[in-house]
Amino acid sequence: MSDWNAMDDEAFRAEVRVFFENEFPAEFKFLPRRMRWHECRDWYLKLSKKGWIAPNWPREYGGMGLSPTKLLIYLEETERAGVGRMPDQGLTMVGPTLIRFGNDAQRKQYLPQIIAGDATWCQGYSEPNAGSDLASLRTEAVPDGDDYVINGSKIWTSMAHDATHIYVLARTDRQAKKKQEGISFLLVDMKTPGITLRTIRNIAGHEEFCQVFFDNVRTPKKNLVGELHKGWTIAKGLLGFERLNIGSPRRPLQALEKLEALAQARGLLADVAFTERLTQLKLDLADLGSLYGRYVERARRGETLGQDVSMLKVWSMETFQRLSELLIEAAGDYGAIDGEVAMGDARIDVLSPFYNSRPGTIYGGSNEIQRNILAKYVLNLPS
Amino acid sequence: MNEHGMDHGALLAHSVGDFVKRGADLPRVRALAQTRAEFDRAQWQQLADLGWLGVLAPESCGGLGLGLAEAAIVAEGLGRALTPEPYTAVAVLAVRTLEYSADTTLRSELLTGLVGGDRVPVVACHEQADDVAATRIATTATPFEGGYRVNGQKQFVIGAAGADGYIVSAQAAGELQLLWVPRDVAGCATGLIALADGRSYGTVTLRDVAVPREHVLASGKAAQGALGRALDHAATIASAELLGVMKSAHEMSLDYMKTRVQFGKAIGSFQVLQHRAVDLYIQQELADAVLREVVAQLDAAPDDRARALLASRAKSRCADAALAITRAAIQFHGAIGFTEDCDVGLYVKRAMTLSAWLGNGRAHRTRYAQLAAQTTGEAA
Repeated sequence: MSDWNAMDDEAFRAEVRVFFENEFPAEFKFLPRRMRWHECRDWYLKLSKKGWIAPNWPREYGGMGLSPTKLLIYLEETERAGVGRMPDQGLTMVGPTLIRFGNDAQRKQYLPQIIAGDATWCQGYSEPNAGSDLASLRTEAVPDGDDYVINGSKIWTSMAHDATHIYVLARTDRQAKKKQEGISFLLVDMKTPGITLRTIRNIAGHEEFCQVFFDNVRTPKKNLVGELHKGWTIAKGLLGFERLNIGSPRRPLQALEKLEALAQARGLLADVAFTERLTQLKLDLADLGSLYGRYVERARRGETLGQDVSMLKVWSMETFQRLSELLIEAAGDYGAIDGEVAMGDARIDVLSPFYNSRPGTIYGGSNEIQRNILAKYVLNLPS
Repeated sequence: MNEHGMDHGALLAHSVGDFVKRGADLPRVRALAQTRAEFDRAQWQQLADLGWLGVLAPESCGGLGLGLAEAAIVAEGLGRALTPEPYTAVAVLAVRTLEYSADTTLRSELLTGLVGGDRVPVVACHEQADDVAATRIATTATPFEGGYRVNGQKQFVIGAAGADGYIVSAQAAGELQLLWVPRDVAGCATGLIALADGRSYGTVTLRDVAVPREHVLASGKAAQGALGRALDHAATIASAELLGVMKSAHEMSLDYMKTRVQFGKAIGSFQVLQHRAVDLYIQQELADAVLREVVAQLDAAPDDRARALLASRAKSRCADAALAITRAAIQFHGAIGFTEDCDVGLYVKRAMTLSAWLGNGRAHRTRYAQLAAQTTGEAA
């Protein structure tokens, strides 16, 4: 296997680009929703066989061991080629969590399954009454012999209907002084008796998330990750890179490309009022690129990203939304049409960026929560 | 940059850091605003002695020969302190215009004098508002006895209050000329228009001003190129001044929010104010990130268009962010923020004058849109 990090950035980019462009199935390119497991399984296995399925994992665990810079190139090329998002919680969350906080037995049991595509994971964090206030979660795990017994329910669990496993934040100590203490991080097999699912259609009509119910679900004690009652620290441990990734300009850039194609097709560039708004958004996006570059540079130097990285998520996702909204407005009467619309030489799906840009200001800590974080930890405002 | 230059750069950052740490001398800023003098000689000489006026100027003229990154450090520091002296107009716009002009005795004399603090040349090139690249020029230079006779009027000249002469742009048979016009020469009249922050725009009227051939600084494409580059560099460094202004103003607001108590609590604990403060902070950090990127890339820009796009990104973001942050500072401070005694007003007004000068946010967005629509070619 090559040492990717020793490669020249552009040579690496070229190699990744050619592979994605030639190998990713054309019928799934730029799918306006997340891919289901039966749709992406072949692609997942192809990447796995090539050794490219886990770009962010260290090589000793079967990953590519990419540096932040190379990883961002890899992700950029994924978006560029229109490779849809697969059920990737095992790759993005469980793997890095076990590598950092798990024990050898857990790594040995779970990591190869993820690489091989034998296990797909979903994230059991939010609950019906614990959204932004996640630490108030009430799903409970009680020790009983060699097991924990879990009761409660998780919601907005993306792709749970395709998952073989779920990682769960559960309350293990009701008497803890602070609600963040007394939460533990547990791994659960979805086939365990007592787990039931209800799929939920999202606003675009796609079944992407579920509610997961736990009724006396037993998971062995060896599936506790890290220390008992310390799950909150683990959950927070991986947010830095996630926010950097969410803050990348590439998703809003796709909306801008559609907007420019539509403006061209409809002759809107002669409209001064429209051009002024388009230009403002182009600058908002270009300037996001400058801010993003600052954090990439820090990550590249191996610095831990501070709480200020939250501003990237706020600006990128809100810029994405503004672009998606101008796209609909610029479409005029066409802006009511579901699916692809023929306009001049172009065929443009006007509504999908609108739908796709909505959850980004809600998940991973809503943008209002990000603003609270910035106010408290960066501006040091009183509470 | 050579080893020598690195030393200068480090020293410079250090001296700017000390300057900023001492805090803004706002009584001086207020007093000066009453006089329309725009700068006091002693302060100007201090800037010269620190080497700040010569940051960009070539070493052959006594300058430090450093880059825009260092000039931006100085400008941000001066902006933080609300220093009214026309650093960007003289040490960037005039220096760059002269530096890119033909190598003449006059050029070295002006640059050397400027760096030492005893000459104050400023560029008088704009005739119309929103003319970011100063290409709409009605001023004429008519050949006459081996030189030119110049007629026309220039506007929006920052630094005119204390200038001893102007670098004037004029058309001679379709060719642009950059000419040196001493302030007190026959036919040259300087009018001063009071600005919001106590500084002035000079309006320079030229009536049959005789310009000898030795006072021609650059002609034709060379003149166009020199002025175009100098204006983009100056707009970028004015953006650095704006960045300094907005950072100081936002710090003031945040300090106030931590100490002002209403309803029994510091007002900074109220979420609606926290989120407004955060949104403005994001604007400040975007401005900072854009400025750093532009400053790093401007000198290496492959062509006029690329350079102009960069400068317009910096000026539009920094101008609008500074305006938003300083205006919000009034609101955060409440009624006291609306008083003359409150320092908030000084920041608001400086943000207004720096934003308007060399093209405001809207003017730069318009230019950006026009240039972005072209695939190749020169700056509009």
